[in-house]
Amino acid sequence: MFNSPAAQQDCTFFDLAQQRNVIFYHMGYFSHHIISAMAEVVKLQLEISGVSGPTRRKLFSSFVELSQNIIHYSSDALTASVAEESGLRQGAVCISTDGERHLMLCANPIATADTERLRAKLEPLRNMSIEEIKQAYKTSLRAETPEDSKGAGLGFLTMARDACAPLEFDFHPRADDPDTTLFCLKATI
Amino acid sequence: MDNFYIEATATSPEIDFRFDQNLLSMKGESYPENAAAFYSPVVQQLRDYLGARDGETITANIALAYFNSSSTKMLFSIFDALDQAAEAGNTIEVNWYHEEEDETIFEFGEELKADFTSIVFNDCPIAT
Repeated sequence: MFNSPAAQQDCTFFDLAQQRNVIFYHMGYFSHHIISAMAEVVKLQLEISGVSGPTRRKLFSSFVELSQNIIHYSSDALTASVAEESGLRQGAVCISTDGERHLMLCANPIATADTERLRAKLEPLRNMSIEEIKQAYKTSLRAETPEDSKGAGLGFLTMARDACAPLEFDFHPRADDPDTTLFCLKATI
Repeated sequence: MDNFYIEATATSPEIDFRFDQNLLSMKGESYPENAAAFYSPVVQQLRDYLGARDGETITANIALAYFNSSSTKMLFSIFDALDQAAEAGNTIEVNWYHEEEDETIFEFGEELKADFTSIVFNDCPIAT
């Protein structure tokens, strides 16, 4: 059975994950309980992988911010009523190593109408120095929470502060559903 | 008033407010599902207690190994309540514990220290 085309594909998936040095990958539904369980796995995996303390903390912090973003903002709820109760939302998160660096990727569907609002939040961060990011973080810390935020409006700034390169992001409108866009975010740590 | 205690979970810290001893402790990790919902009763209890204190010495031990972005604002509310109590004539001492190499929590402590000047703020790095 290992010679069947399907089994070959299975192998390709694992080979690819290994080649890309994937430490952790989850695609599917996210809820607070799922994040809590994944956080335990991520902590353990990072420790086993021999990642240094400070880097581990930054990766963990970005992992929590990204995952909680998916719960708060992914447009793909299981069903409206179930999502309301359990906070189940769909998305994907991947942690991998790239030489000395670590990559944290996430993807989740959003309403196409929210694209520009998100872009307006993320684009300015790309051109800021780490000192400017820290300053913006300090300012936001003391500011009123933005109305459209379900947290403190500090998630992206926290990730930008922990990253060693500008945050990368992209929007892929769904061909089959123009109201939905796939939002991808990448942090290098 | 009664002491206030919340057991720690994987994503929320232990809250141990021993009002009868003027000793307040928070310990653990903080990334609850809804930080505002978790911290609202904490801040409320704290404000009620502090409001009835006059000329007392109160110690707060804070040892949070990690807190997410939405918990940071709640920490500001807690420090705001403590600072007001200090301005009202109490002595408020905060011991801010963090791992020695954890710059993020150290720097956050420095921000708190800069904003809430009536609190006696002690940075307490723990060697790892």
